[in-house]
Amino acid sequence: MRRFLRRLPLMLVIAMVLWLAMRPVLDWGVSAFGQVLVRSFEYPRVTRIVPEEHRAEVRRADFRADSKIPTLSLTEIHFNTIVLLALYLALPKPGSKHQLERLFMSWCILFLTQTINLVLHVKFIYAFSLGEWSLAQYSDLARNFYGFLRYFTDLPGRFGFPFMIWLGFNWELLTASLGIEDQQDSPKKKGRKPRS
Amino acid sequence: MKLTARELWRRPDTRFLILFLAILGVSFFVIALNFVNNAFVVPYTTFVAKMSGVALALLGEDITVRGVVLSSPRFAVTIYNGCNGLVTSLIFISGVLAFPASLSSKAIGVVGGLLSIQLINLIRIVSLFYIGIYLPQYFSQSHIFIWQSIVIVAGVALWVIWANFYGVKAIKRN
Repeated sequence: MRRFLRRLPLMLVIAMVLWLAMRPVLDWGVSAFGQVLVRSFEYPRVTRIVPEEHRAEVRRADFRADSKIPTLSLTEIHFNTIVLLALYLALPKPGSKHQLERLFMSWCILFLTQTINLVLHVKFIYAFSLGEWSLAQYSDLARNFYGFLRYFTDLPGRFGFPFMIWLGFNWELLTASLGIEDQQDSPKKKGRKPRS
Repeated sequence: MKLTARELWRRPDTRFLILFLAILGVSFFVIALNFVNNAFVVPYTTFVAKMSGVALALLGEDITVRGVVLSSPRFAVTIYNGCNGLVTSLIFISGVLAFPASLSSKAIGVVGGLLSIQLINLIRIVSLFYIGIYLPQYFSQSHIFIWQSIVIVAGVALWVIWANFYGVKAIKRN
């Protein structure tokens, strides 16, 4: 565990560099998948999410020509990739096949949470920021629903998901490093054979 | 093997994640309520702003604190919810409460973790203030991905340290 804590600051710096290098790809990926999700649940399919200088422009085909285009910060949406990368790189043997597989699966889940966060931001714009149209299209219940989900994925979600995902995939490794035995596998009665 | 709810609960990893999510969800729901926000979050954020003002004044800044706004002749910044250390604190507390350990160990974790996270957040606010003065072109990046990442990773590191000292002892005694 001391080794993990000693490696963590350096791995955080490396993770930031890696994220900066991948940023354009992440911008495009989160925007594209977010657009797919938004359009899957709307009729007619009018929304386009266009990445531009690390911001997502939310364009609708039914906006007036002189309408301002709302934008969202893509950096805020996917910066928590840095945290996931740093935590993985600080574990023992981060380049092993097993750890790389876990990192890939973790990243897929984190990417999904980032995309859902973006979708909720888009729905929040539609439900709150388009004046009379928003009031006409979204009920109070719908606005509260999107508002709360956006709030949850923004604050605890963005900050907490990397830790949860990392811990979920590396529980045994982490508890072994902490010296915790898995008490669940111990036989409870004398003479009882442990389950295979 | 078919995974039932009972099986999921018996596994320590899924039990931790279920508890963690539940505690996190409840705590953020509670602070989202208007009366809790007005009675606790806003005064807490104001307190964080005041402490930051004290730290900046000790460093020689001509600082004025009005509510959650820190201003000097050279720069001004507003501290919102999300910048007051509360988010990281609640995530850390959820991790402590969800992990198997004695009540006294959890209490030590909660208090110690809260103080440590607030100290880290104070350093963050002061450094961002000076970045705003001397390197304003880097303020946004420093605020969004550099310091937020540092604070989250610091929170995880604090949790690992606590689990190593207090979680291990509790399980071995049991």
